[in-house]
Amino acid sequence: MNTNVGTSIRMSEFLDSRDHRALLLDLTIASSFGAVAGLEDIAKTLSQCNEIFDGIIMNPGQLEHHAHLLGGKLRSSPLVRVDWTNAARGNDPGLPALKVTRVQLSDAEDALRLGASATVATLLLGYDEEMEAENIRSVSRLARECYRLSLPVIADIRPMGGRVTADNFAGSIKLGVSFMMEAGADALIVPACDKETLSLIGSWSTVPVLVRLENLARPEEIQELFALGMSGIVFTEKILAVSGFEGIVGSLRHLVH
Amino acid sequence: MPIVAGKTVRLNRLFNPKDGRAVCVAADHGWMSDPTPNVIELKRILREVVSGGADGILVSFGTALRMGSLFEGKNAPALLIRADWMNLPRLGGSNVSNVLPAVNFKKKATSCAKDALLVGASAITIYYFIGYSDEFEAINIEQAADFAKECRKIGLPLIIEPMAVGAGVTGVNVTEILIASARIAVEIGADALKIPYTNDVRSFKKLVDEAGVPVLVLGGAKSDDPRDALELADEALRAGARGTVFGRNVTKAKDPRKMVADVCALVHHGRSVDEVLGARVKQRGRLRPIAANCTGCQLCEIACVHYHSSAFDQDSHRLRIEYKFRPDEPRLSKPIVCPLCEKCVEACNEGALTIGPEGYLVLDRGRCTSCGDCVPGCPLGLISLDSNAMPVFCDLCEGSPQCVAWCKPHAIVLAPPKGDRKNVS
Repeated sequence: MNTNVGTSIRMSEFLDSRDHRALLLDLTIASSFGAVAGLEDIAKTLSQCNEIFDGIIMNPGQLEHHAHLLGGKLRSSPLVRVDWTNAARGNDPGLPALKVTRVQLSDAEDALRLGASATVATLLLGYDEEMEAENIRSVSRLARECYRLSLPVIADIRPMGGRVTADNFAGSIKLGVSFMMEAGADALIVPACDKETLSLIGSWSTVPVLVRLENLARPEEIQELFALGMSGIVFTEKILAVSGFEGIVGSLRHLVH
Repeated sequence: MPIVAGKTVRLNRLFNPKDGRAVCVAADHGWMSDPTPNVIELKRILREVVSGGADGILVSFGTALRMGSLFEGKNAPALLIRADWMNLPRLGGSNVSNVLPAVNFKKKATSCAKDALLVGASAITIYYFIGYSDEFEAINIEQAADFAKECRKIGLPLIIEPMAVGAGVTGVNVTEILIASARIAVEIGADALKIPYTNDVRSFKKLVDEAGVPVLVLGGAKSDDPRDALELADEALRAGARGTVFGRNVTKAKDPRKMVADVCALVHHGRSVDEVLGARVKQRGRLRPIAANCTGCQLCEIACVHYHSSAFDQDSHRLRIEYKFRPDEPRLSKPIVCPLCEKCVEACNEGALTIGPEGYLVLDRGRCTSCGDCVPGCPLGLISLDSNAMPVFCDLCEGSPQCVAWCKPHAIVLAPPKGDRKNVS
């Protein structure tokens, strides 16, 4: 008997139950920078995107206000990012981050109340030990809470800290994948990296792995990712700046599914 | 699209459903800085704020417990609870008095949303400080997220007040940071924002548009001239703000009731700043009754009371209609109005009651000892004392007498002031 039927059902709301693939959009950057290009009018953006993507990752505040534009049979499922970090600010001239921090925004119960199909938690790698330990503890606790409530946890692995270099970037991703599978994540998001690493992760991971793409990819690149064992793509808000992105992503959708 | 029902209902209590706007007053200064006169006299000031027509008042949890009666009634202002505490005013650099300076910037959550709901609050308000340090911002975000979760759970709106302060904030980037912070607050879970004005309509419009939730502009430090505060509100409204949360500009105003009424005129009635401030000057003068025109309808009494207290209490008008009955003759009526004889001014030994620069009676509440000498000092019996033993007198509705405006038979007219017989209005 499947004791966690709730998790399976909720996973199927954004990870197609026939091909086990997903096309997601992450709109949570506004919690770091405010309304960046494409996110000035979130309702308009959602209206443009909510039938293209299988799921849209949102911050809890925006999800509460715009839940009516998501979910159901035809529209993207809402996924809630449960944490906040200033890591993406880096040396941004307007809002530089001198010390990177990460705090919890939401929890499993809150995410269920918001109608989310899954929680998305960030794992930052390459910063100091204290932060890494706290991050691991926080994701582990979330995974336990979500397990009790049959809510999937997606771990978003971000090797961004100063200790991550070109030489250890791929290794850092593998470390994050290992940590997050051990912590109990139901799916993973990893940054785009070399084929060997993705291939290893694809064959090794027992949970779906999605690749975060900062820019639009060519169809053959997308096909290659699936051939490496990946289960989906996560685009960021950057694709909103591409002229006619709805049509382009719409055609990519056919490739994914 | 509505958020959960409890939030929708409570936001509707704060924002006037007719125009979706709100005039709020922040009265939480005693929670974070020295007890200045506006803190010590808070109860009296808040009564005036209520009579001025405020839609919401922001107070600490303790003040809500002590002064809860101000919020009773369908037309009473919505109660907003300040759910956190901070020591920014005591770090120096602000213009408020500071008897016990602090060195380290601290902010703590001091109430919970459930407590606020229990005392009948329509929303809670918390700070979000950005620009001081990364660690401090993270603490702010974490606290805000905890409040947001709790508010979602119980259906209580969360108003976040982003404040750009600290070494990372300069004159060059403050607007950019405020705009970003507004949206960040919404991403975390704000249902409305209380935020400083960015000093120009264009950038504030960008802030409002990108926030996507109702934005209330705050007034900041008390302006020397009320016009400055009103112009700030006017510009923010033009940029799309849904109202105001003025604090010291109201609680430290010479006449808090009038200040609130003036802001209401801007926010709810679409008046311009010049209309709000200018009408009185044009109609400078004194009341003159014309008994022959009086029909005894008493509309002047109603207009008087409604203007001053937004009520229809027949006992607190500042003029009256007197009737004379003679057998076999029609009933005669006559308006008894303040002729600005200044006998009350002479009777006031404290110098609290004077003729102001705009030509009508004004009271300096700081000087008034509630002795009541002005009451018998009025030869027409037009002065009484209110429940706080403060004189109730004709102030020509601050230069725009409603009795004149409403008396269609012209039984009360505005005559030129003494010594200015040429300028009949």
